[in-house]
Amino acid sequence: MLDYGQVLDLLTDDERQVQSTARDFLDAEAMPGITDAWEKGEFPRDLIPKLGEMGYLGANLPSEYGTAGVNNMSYGLLMYELERIDSGLRSFASVQGALVMYPIYSYGSEEQKQNYLPKMASGEMIGCFGLTEHEGGSDPGAMKATARKDGESYVLNGSKMWITNGNIADVALVWAKDDGGVVCGFLVPTDTPGFVANEIKHKLSMRASVTSELVMDDCRIPASQMLPDVRGLRGPLSCLTQARYGIAWGALGALEAVYEDALAFSKTRSTFGKPIASRQLVQTKFVDMVSDHTRGMLLAWRLAILKDQGKLNYSLVSLAKRDNVRAALLAARSAREILGGSGIVLDHPSIRHMLNLETVDTYEGTHDIHTLILGRDITGENALE
Amino acid sequence: MALNIIVCAKQVVDPETPASAFRIDPDTKQVVPAQGIPPVVNGFDENAVEAALQIKEASSDATITVLSVGSGFVMDVMKKPLSMGADQLILVDDPAVGNLDAFGTATALAEAIRKIGEYDLILCGRQASDWDNAMVPLGIAEILGLPCITIAQKIEVSDDGVTVHKALSDGYEVVKAELPAVVTITNELGEPRYPTLRGIMTASRKTPTVWDASEVGLSHDQLSHKLDLTELYIPVSDTECEFIEGEDDADSGRLLALKLREARLI
Repeated sequence: MLDYGQVLDLLTDDERQVQSTARDFLDAEAMPGITDAWEKGEFPRDLIPKLGEMGYLGANLPSEYGTAGVNNMSYGLLMYELERIDSGLRSFASVQGALVMYPIYSYGSEEQKQNYLPKMASGEMIGCFGLTEHEGGSDPGAMKATARKDGESYVLNGSKMWITNGNIADVALVWAKDDGGVVCGFLVPTDTPGFVANEIKHKLSMRASVTSELVMDDCRIPASQMLPDVRGLRGPLSCLTQARYGIAWGALGALEAVYEDALAFSKTRSTFGKPIASRQLVQTKFVDMVSDHTRGMLLAWRLAILKDQGKLNYSLVSLAKRDNVRAALLAARSAREILGGSGIVLDHPSIRHMLNLETVDTYEGTHDIHTLILGRDITGENALE
Repeated sequence: MALNIIVCAKQVVDPETPASAFRIDPDTKQVVPAQGIPPVVNGFDENAVEAALQIKEASSDATITVLSVGSGFVMDVMKKPLSMGADQLILVDDPAVGNLDAFGTATALAEAIRKIGEYDLILCGRQASDWDNAMVPLGIAEILGLPCITIAQKIEVSDDGVTVHKALSDGYEVVKAELPAVVTITNELGEPRYPTLRGIMTASRKTPTVWDASEVGLSHDQLSHKLDLTELYIPVSDTECEFIEGEDDADSGRLLALKLREARLI
């Protein structure tokens, strides 16, 4: 693991073992096929039960529902290792764990927890998270999706856009406004009449990930499918904080992947009789990558400690997501540049990660939205509205 | 039947470490591990742990004890067998056993096994990736007066004893022994399982037993080197690239074959 700041020394034996095991496992099971899957535009579904068997789905939730119950440091390291393979793989795990299992655990009824969490932990059941709509994701309060109460049912109408896992999900956690205009969460089995998932094709980013549009047309579900313990935007926003935490770690894994590949290339590629690693302009790029990675690791490490202590503020998560993802994106662009012509083909991971990271920089709060969240926190003035 | 399995495991320098990343101290004739590259459990020893776990899964009542001798143990590395599913870990951790030759290692392990007391089956990796001697398991068997079957690609335990498919260059032979016995395991047995998060969490609640050399009853004489290491160095390899050009592809292939035969490679 790239560890210029010796952050691994700050971890426990168990946390280090989680990281090293995840690396060995993913290098053996996920890395060999990921480029092919990305090129074909397919999510490597065969990995899902293996991820479940390893305990990587919803890993930081308490172990009473079949989850692993690791701490947030270990969970962050897992996200790091998953995204070192591909952002699509980390996205799958983030959606499953942070965006669907977490709210079921935090806001669901006991029956919902029993029904969903063990199967989602094993990978037997897949979830997706429907918040963003066609007319923008940065203002979720403006959502148009509705949930009309009708006796012992809710009838959902509306659509959701850019939904990871949409077409492979067994259950969609859909956020919609009830009759009083309050945002509520609904667990919608995807085989419910009136529910359709349309896969979004022609993506040039996140190609090893399923992205979908969800359409609900008089989709009737039992009232018991509503998450009973949360109302308002606090629900989905709290989920996003969980996912952004994982992204802050994951982006550093992608950064390591492009850095290591470009570094190895630079030592063997010569121009004018010397390896390009000896060129100052190339070294500058590597120094920037390592600096950003080191800074990002120390920040992620601190985030994990605060999260385990229950003291993590969402604005610090915004800072980490914003900075680490942008750093990884810039590193991927630099790495691709170092690779020259070789950087535009999938033989090297840089362009795949670079294109993926364009999405990661956008989803779960764009770079600009996180800037405004932090600006509001720092100045007390809200520039979002 | 209740079965007590002891698996001997060694912490080694990661064999994937490139030669450029570590150096050899010419004075102590020891490898200086590369910075930032942690050691690993010897690969064949992980195969032995996997064999033990498979036996345990097929048995109604088996206990797996992992045993290692050495010094400077890295705990997240050595606890890996526990995370895979072994029941307990015993470390003989003492500078006195940190740099033994094969005879000393076999002696230390055998004495530790005697101290453990109850054992039916002792599993070892076929050899360790640092020295590749493949001598220690035979030494343990000799010291303890046990039969030893080497290079097992399959192993089964029954009331009659242990049955092993011993790997050969052109197949395998079936060998049986009564228990207790020493068996060395090869990688053909199958990939060792990855520790799951649940396994790691379970292992984190287990505290390894740590003995020093005196607790095992090891004397300085027992551990003195029987082998003299005269020199330790990283071999220098030269690479030459020769293009073989024939009249056509078939001719090139023929010339290549002749070249390889001259070099006694085929």
